[in-house]
Order: sequence, then C-alpha cells, then structure tokens
Amino acid sequence: MTAVSIHARGLTVLAPDGRTMVQPLDLDLVGGETVALIGESGSGKTLTAKSLIGLLPPGFRAQGEVRYGEQAFELSMPDAAWRPLRGRTVSLLLQDPFTSLSPVHRCGEQIAWTIEAATGRRLRGAARTSAIAARLAEVRLPERVARAYPHELSGGMRQRVAIAAALASDPVLLIADEPTTALDASNQAEILDLLHGIQTARGMAVLLISHDLGLVRGRTDRVLVMRSGEIVERGDTATVLAAPEHAYTRALIEVDPAMRALAADDGSTADGSADDGSTPALAAGTDRPTAVLEASGIVKRFGERTVLDDVSIALRPGEVTGVVGESGSGKSTLARCIAGLEREDGGEIRFEGVVLAPGRGSRTPAQMQIVFQDPYSSLNPMMSIGAILREALHVARRPAADVAVLLETVGLPADFAGKRPAQLSGGQRQRVAIARALAPRPSVLICDESVSALDVSVQAQVLALLAQLRDELGLAILFISHDLAVVREIADTVTVLWDGRVVEQGECARVLTAPEHEYTRLLIAAGRRENPRAAASDLASKGTR
Amino acid sequence: MSTSTTARAVVDGPVGVEFRSKHRVPIVVAISLGFLAIVMFFVVAAPFLVPNATEQDILSSLLPPGTPGHPLGTDELGRDILALTIAGATSALVGPCIVAVGSMLIGVLLGTVAGYERGWVDFLVSRWTDLLLALPVLLAAIVVAGVFGGGYWTTTLLLIVLFSPSDIRIVRAGVLEQSARPYIEAAQMLSLSRWRVMFRHILPNVSTLVITNAMLNVAFAIVAFSSLSFLGVGVPAGTADWGRQLTDARSIMFDNPAAAIVPALLIIAVACAVNLVGDWLGQRLTRTGGVA
Amino acid sequence: MLAVRVLGMLAILLVLSFIVFSMMYLAPGDLVKTLLGNRPASPEAVAAIREQYHLDDPFLVQYFTWLGGVLTGDLGESIRLQVPVADAIASRLPVTLALCAVAFVLALAVSIPLGVASAVHAGRPVDRVGSALGIVGLSAPTFAVGLLLLYVFAYYVPIFPVYGAGDGGLDTLYHLVLPGITLALGLGAIVLKLTRTALLRELDADYVTSARARGIDDRVVHRLALRNALIPIVTGASLVLTFLVGGTVLAETTFALPGIGLLLQDSVLFKDIAVVQALTLLIAVAIAVIALLADLAYLLLDPRVRAKGVPA
Repeated sequence: MTAVSIHARGLTVLAPDGRTMVQPLDLDLVGGETVALIGESGSGKTLTAKSLIGLLPPGFRAQGEVRYGEQAFELSMPDAAWRPLRGRTVSLLLQDPFTSLSPVHRCGEQIAWTIEAATGRRLRGAARTSAIAARLAEVRLPERVARAYPHELSGGMRQRVAIAAALASDPVLLIADEPTTALDASNQAEILDLLHGIQTARGMAVLLISHDLGLVRGRTDRVLVMRSGEIVERGDTATVLAAPEHAYTRALIEVDPAMRALAADDGSTADGSADDGSTPALAAGTDRPTAVLEASGIVKRFGERTVLDDVSIALRPGEVTGVVGESGSGKSTLARCIAGLEREDGGEIRFEGVVLAPGRGSRTPAQMQIVFQDPYSSLNPMMSIGAILREALHVARRPAADVAVLLETVGLPADFAGKRPAQLSGGQRQRVAIARALAPRPSVLICDESVSALDVSVQAQVLALLAQLRDELGLAILFISHDLAVVREIADTVTVLWDGRVVEQGECARVLTAPEHEYTRLLIAAGRRENPRAAASDLASKGTR
Repeated sequence: MSTSTTARAVVDGPVGVEFRSKHRVPIVVAISLGFLAIVMFFVVAAPFLVPNATEQDILSSLLPPGTPGHPLGTDELGRDILALTIAGATSALVGPCIVAVGSMLIGVLLGTVAGYERGWVDFLVSRWTDLLLALPVLLAAIVVAGVFGGGYWTTTLLLIVLFSPSDIRIVRAGVLEQSARPYIEAAQMLSLSRWRVMFRHILPNVSTLVITNAMLNVAFAIVAFSSLSFLGVGVPAGTADWGRQLTDARSIMFDNPAAAIVPALLIIAVACAVNLVGDWLGQRLTRTGGVA
Repeated sequence: MLAVRVLGMLAILLVLSFIVFSMMYLAPGDLVKTLLGNRPASPEAVAAIREQYHLDDPFLVQYFTWLGGVLTGDLGESIRLQVPVADAIASRLPVTLALCAVAFVLALAVSIPLGVASAVHAGRPVDRVGSALGIVGLSAPTFAVGLLLLYVFAYYVPIFPVYGAGDGGLDTLYHLVLPGITLALGLGAIVLKLTRTALLRELDADYVTSARARGIDDRVVHRLALRNALIPIVTGASLVLTFLVGGTVLAETTFALPGIGLLLQDSVLFKDIAVVQALTLLIAVAIAVIALLADLAYLLLDPRVRAKGVPA
C-alpha cells in the first residue's frame, strides 16, 4: 500500500449549546506514522477523533476541512457523505472491547461484515472462512476464534478481534480511542505493540488517543498535547517527553506516577524526591509502633471460588500499608472484610488486640472508615455536603460546627457545606469522602482504589493529602491499588496479592526495587508499560500458583 | 420470573413520550394539566352542581342530544346524560388515586425492607409478589369482585392489594440497586441504624421511581375501575359511573349516541392526560435528580 | 436451573389453585340454592345436591377431590349451562384463540416496523406519530375503544359486522375484524414501546458506533441492533399475554363474541363457581407456560445466557 497522507485544517468542534469544545487545530499524519493525542478526560481529544470520522455525538458539530490523500472533505458534511469514507479510508477502534462487539453475533461474522462492506460483495463458504482466518491471523488469534462469541474471550482477545474488525476494510487511517484503558496492565502493552506492528507492516497511519503519557513513549512518532480543547504542545515524542516546553506538559509528566517511577529508576532526572520523602526511617524496623489492626489467616469464599486464602496483614499508626494486585486478586475483598462490609469465612481480625467478629456489628465508626474508588457514587446525591458531614459528626457526638474544620482538613473552603455532590468535581468529591471518613476520628483509614478514578493531576493532590493526614493524625492507612506507581509513591510497606494469596510482603522500597517473587516482577514490568509477556510466560512455565 | 423483568420495566414504565423542552411546560402537558384540573373541579363540585344526577324520570326517557334542558339527552331511565357524566367524575378519579397512593405505601414499606434486609423477609415478600403477579390484575379483580360482590370501596381495597406487587418490585429493585452503592456502605461504616439508612438515605434516591410509578398506577387504575364497572362488577347498578354508563348505553346506541360516546371519550382522555403528566413528571424528576 | 424454574412455577400454580378453591368456598350466597336453580328446594333435592357436590366433606377433602378432578380433566359441571365445564370451555375456546390471533397479527404487523422506524428516526415526525399512537393505545381502555369503533362502524360506515362471531370460516374472520382492531391497539402499543425502547438502547451501544465506523451499511447495522433488541422484546411476551387476558374479556363483552372472556364474565355474574375456578386456573397455567417459553426463547437468543443456563 502506498503511504497516504492525512491533513486536517482548522478542525473545530462545537457543543450543542454553541460552546467551542475543540479550538481550531491542524493535524497532519503520514502513512506508516503513529501520532499520539494526549489529554486528560474532558480535554476534547475524543471529540477531535470522532470529528475525523463524522461520528460526533448528537448535537455536536464539526468545522474545518480534512484531506485524505487527494480528496478534500468538509468536516461538517452530512452523515450520508461520510458513509463511503468510513471503513475504507478511516476506521475507529473504541476503548472498551466489552461493549464494542455485538454480544449475540460470532466474532468471525462481525469481521466479515467489515470485509463485505468494504468490498461490496457477500462472502460465502470457504472464501469467507479463509478471509476471516487471515484477519484473525494478523492479530495473532487462532482460526477457532471466528466461531466464538465475544463473551467467551478474555478482554485482551476481544480487543484483538475488535482490531481485526476495524482493520478488515484496509483503512489508510486508524483512530484508536484509548484502546487499552479498559484492559488489565499486563494486556495493555501487548495490544499497543500489536497495533504498532500491524501499522508498520501496512504503512497505515494511526492516531492514538490516550490520557497516558507512559504508554506513548517508544510507540509513537509524534505527540500532540491537548488541554481544554487546545493543543498546547506538539512535536517529536522523544523530544517532548525529554524536554517539554509547555508548563502543562511538564505538569503531566511530573504527576504521572509511571513516568516518575521511571525517572526515579533511571536516576537520570532529579525528580525522584517522592521516593525518599515517603519512606521515612521505618526501614530500621526496630522502633516501629505496635499494630493497631491485625488480620491473620483471612479466608473468604464466594460460592466455589476462594478469593482470599490465608491472608495476613498488619496496620500500624502513622504508616501506609499498600496492597497491590491485578483485578480479581482479592485485594478489595480483603479491604471489605477488614471494614466488616464482607464476612470472612476464616481467620481472625484483631483491633488493638481484641478479636472482631465478622460483619459490621462488632465494629465501631471510630475504629475504621473507608474511602471508595468511585467519587461519583460514594456520596448520597440527595444530601448536601454539609448534611453528609453533619451526619458523620453526629455519630461521633461531635458538634455540627466541626463541618468547617473537616472541610479545612481536606483542603476545601467552608462554603462547600451548602453544595450538593453533583456540583463538585471528582477530586473534590473524593476530598469530601475523606472528610466524612475522618469525622468519627478513626484509627484506621481504608482506601480502596481511592485515587484510581481520578485524573493524574488530581491523583497527585489526593495522595499528598493522604500522606499529610498520615503524618499529622498518625492514621494507619490501608491503601489498596492496582497501580504500583501510586503505591510506590505513598506506601511504607506493601503486600502483593495474587489469586487470593500473599506472594510477597515487606518494606515498599525493597519489594518494588528488588522483588523476590516473579509475579511482583511481572507487575512492575507491566507498571512500566513494558511488554510483560516474557515475564508472564516465564511465570506460567514454572507453574507457580 | 425474572427474565421478563427488563421487559416489565419497559412496559410498567412511563408510556414513553419524550419531552424535549427542559424548562417550559410542553404544550400537551399544559393541556393535560388544564383538562385534569377541570375534571378535578367537577369531582369536588359534583354533589353541589348535580345532586340529583341518578334520579330517574321515566317521562323524559331517551331524549336525543340537543333537547332543551338536556344538552346531551337522557337515557332509558330518563337520567340526564350531562348530569350523570359530571357525577361520574368522582368514581372515575377518587378510587384510582386512593389505589395509587395505597399501593405506593405498601410498595415503599415492603419493597424497601425486602430490598435492604434481604434474607427471609425478602423471600416472603418476593414469593407473595410472584403469586399475585401470576394472575393478571383485571382477571383477579373480575373474579374476586364478581364472586364476592362488594361495592366501590371493597373494589378499591382489592385493587390496592392487586396493584401493590408492581410497586413492591419497583421499589425493591431500586433499593437493591442503591444498596450496592458506596454511599450506602459509607453510611454502614458510620454504624447508622438500619431504619435511618433505609428511609433517610435510600428512599429519597428511589423516590423518583416511586412517584413516577404512582402516576402510572393512577392511569392504570382508572382503566381498571371503569373496566370492572363496564363488566357489571365493582359498582352497584344505578351509580353514576362512566364505565357503568357505557354498559347501559350499549342498548340505546341509536337512540342517544351521546350516552356512550361522551363517557368513552372522557375515560380515554383522562387516562391519556394522567399518563402524559406522569411521563413528564418522571422525566423532570430524573433530570433534576430528585424531588428534594 | 430449568428444573428449579419449572418447580417454582408448579408451586405457584398449586398455591393459586388452593386460593382459587378456598375463595369460591368462602364466596357469599347459599351455594345449594344456586345449584338447585329453579327446582323446588325439597329436603331430598337438597340432600342429593349436597351429595353430588361433596358439600358435606371436610374442606381439605373437597379441595383434593376437586384438584384430583382437575388433574384428570374433570372440571365439574356448569350449573348455568348444564354441561360439563370442559365442554363449555372447549366450545368457546376457538373464538377466543382466533380473536387473539387476529389481534396479534395486526399488532405485530404495525408495531414492529413502526417501533423500528421510531427508534431509528427518534424525534422525527414518524416517532411523534408512534408516540401518539402508543400513548392512546396504552391509556385507552379496550372497551371504550371498542364502543367507539362499534358506534362508527354501526352508524356511519356499516362495512364490518359489530355483533357476534358469524357462521365460521371466513365469516368469523370477517366478524373478528373490529374486535381484533380493538384488541390490537393496546397490544400494539405495548409491542411498539418494547421495540422502540429496546432498539433505541441498542442503537446507542458502542458496537453500533463501531460498526458504523467500519463503514457497515445502515441497514445491516439496524438489523444487527434489532437482533440484539429481540431479547428484551421477546421476554415481554408474558406481559403481552397479561394484557390479552383482560383485553379479551372486555373486547368479547363489547362485541358480544361468545368466547372465553364472555363465558368468564357471565359465569362470574351468575356465580357459576365451577366454571370460574376452571377458567382462572386455565389462564394462570397459560400465563405460566408462556412465561416459561419466553425464558426458553431468551436462552435461544442470547449466547451469554446459553452458556450459563436458564436464569432463575
């Protein structure tokens, strides 16, 4: 295929109410090249992508012009004019492989539709089977996947099928909208490398939309950084990442834990201060305070499945205990058992030496509180912030006037008491959730993926708040996360869970720099967005459970 | 019987008219509200306006519409159709409103407790609703009201019981959905009492569902009441009631068509208006995030 | 899972049969007097009646005698019609089934295409027409619509017969047109709403965006969305049936069609207990069976459920 170049001029996106969501921008791609469009959620990067294929949400309008090779098109042209372009010229790969394939049709059939739409001919019999098999082979899937329904495949495999379907019409440009965000860390790099390989082989142009700077490194040629609908920086990927010119790009790199971890490991930049700052002199291990909460030999089953198998962990005042593992490792269940929201089937949980029976009945609000992952559903939407905090204060028999104190503790102005959750941003809501948790003056604070749903820049602020609370209030914090980089930032000790078992436990700096277990090494590799496949197959071949 | 739950939600849900305008009251809704206000006025004023609506006067039987003094004519028994229709507004609306409120209260209480407490309470409540839902409401009402007799208020009580399963199910599903949300678990972490969690935290968040469904039940109950009286059960003969009027008017269709057409159109119009207002209210509440 | 589902269904039917029987047992009025009809109430006649209907047996014995009869096909004797209940029902069933079939065909023929068009062109004129039809269909009681149709076609355009079931065959079909339309309005409104809501949700799904982005023709896209929407539409079958039961009684009464519905109404008013018991139970069984079939259809339509077994 000859390389085709794509040029967008004055691309603008307007919201239904007339607001400009994407400021006029120019975009150039050449076949064989991958360009990354980076931005946080709400920056307008997805709207930019969708305007290039005429699939903006209802009510949104695009302006400007795009040239696909020799032909020029108005971005504002009607749907009917876009139809012949879609598939054959430009194709779109969506974020979530769990919803982007029809659940009731076989994978092969869904790939065949694209081929038929592009060629205009119905495929039958052996020709159809071999055409589908060829497309599957390109994404390194066996032929039998053609007969499978999407629900029978893993997330990574589904995204491969989605890629095969998106590319079956041989487009000159593929827009990949956060193609790995919905996947587990270990799958992310694999999918991106696969995409990169196909792109090189085909000489196709790829526009990769992502919020993740770490993923972009080494896999894209050029990068565009977008903020509030505006391109603030563009250039060669390596150059931009090494020497960002715009303050926002610098901030993005700075707050991205993966980038920071990388920097710390490399020792190439002076930005590794976080590591030293958050691991105080605990390493000595001799003068550590006694544990306020001890869980030992916790077992939890859901039906036939054992999700926690003999897990023990201790929480000490003034310390952050990190628990890491991929989804399904049992880390959230552990947090919920400790909180009493889930009843463990075996083991013992002691608070200040006294055994707590399973369930909430044996626990008091002053012992422990929890901050959940999703800031959008963890506050009652029908209550004002003030009412939420007053209720929590009432439980602890504290005066209602303390609302202002609580808000101040989490860095929010006192007038937030009159607001409703819907008026707050994700980060602000999470601060309110922390304030509510602090109201009964708990000894233990459980953070169950509490920063995972936040944008990286907000993430850093909330992490800083947690560290400050630990130091000022002497809280024992149980910090659950799938993101090693975040844990590295805040945790003093870390426990690695795999398939409901503790595979490694120890001081954070030691475990994450010199892991003893293969699984920890795999996690660290995945966290750095390196291809963990080697580590994974290594692990599998050794048959370690 | 849960695979049909999605479908049930669709059918039990609002009639499905989408209103575009966000602030102004859409024109159809304004007309519906105005129309319902007029009907409500007659419900209240009927005893004063037409105190003798059901009085028979054989001498002036079967007068056609347009007769002086009887704008809509009279029926076989010489009752004035206009007066009878005005008087009928009461039984057309009062019973349905009581049914909707009554079944809503049962639904809120049993649905919330079953959805939040789970366990044996939930088991009993769920089997009870399964049982009641095994027979169509109208069939059960015809059989029970027909065989046991009983007047308007017995029918009202019967319909409250027969309507309650749909309320219980809707509230229970809403409570189940809310219970799994972190804000409820956060309330549990504060060791709040179960009644406080149920009625202070969860209930306001399902109130939109509850109110929307109650409006819907009013419309459905209007249809149920009039259907029963059309079939000759529910209200005794001689009562001023639109459904009853239709039964009586079938035989005098050609002598005084107004006797059948006017109440028929009124039943249809009232049911449509209630449904439209219910739909609009439901969408407004959903958009503004609740009633509070 | 399927076995559990069937057992649950049987348990509900059993409890229902008990309730139906005991309600009739508790029904007010002197049963013997009703049963005697206009025969003289001599002590011998009363004794004979009590003997014939097992009225002196304990309640539970009476229930099990009745249930045993039901299970072996003996539904008792209609006191009003003086024929076995099974015969009375059998002679009325064809008209009702034909009516339902006519209504069903009419309803599906209009509402599925209209529902698809409404969803695809949401907010456009065709959707508005669909909405208007839907709201009238869902709101208007069957008998009120029936009476209006009856008046129009009896008075102004007398092209369709308005009373009775005709002489069989095409004549019956001809007689069923108006009742069929009456019933189809409510039925169609339910199906229209199910189709529109289900399809609208599917059209909003990621896989539709993805298919469109791959250049797949709109007709193919709509077909695959409809295939996904079929699952909630088909599972609505039992609701449709629930509506049909009430609707049939009303439509048959309005148009004086001698079907099951009219039989039920007459029997209820006459307190013909045996017929009412049998019909109530028959309808409950029919609804339970249709709900079960809907679940099985769900199993066929959704590969995700097929993998896990029947949902409870």
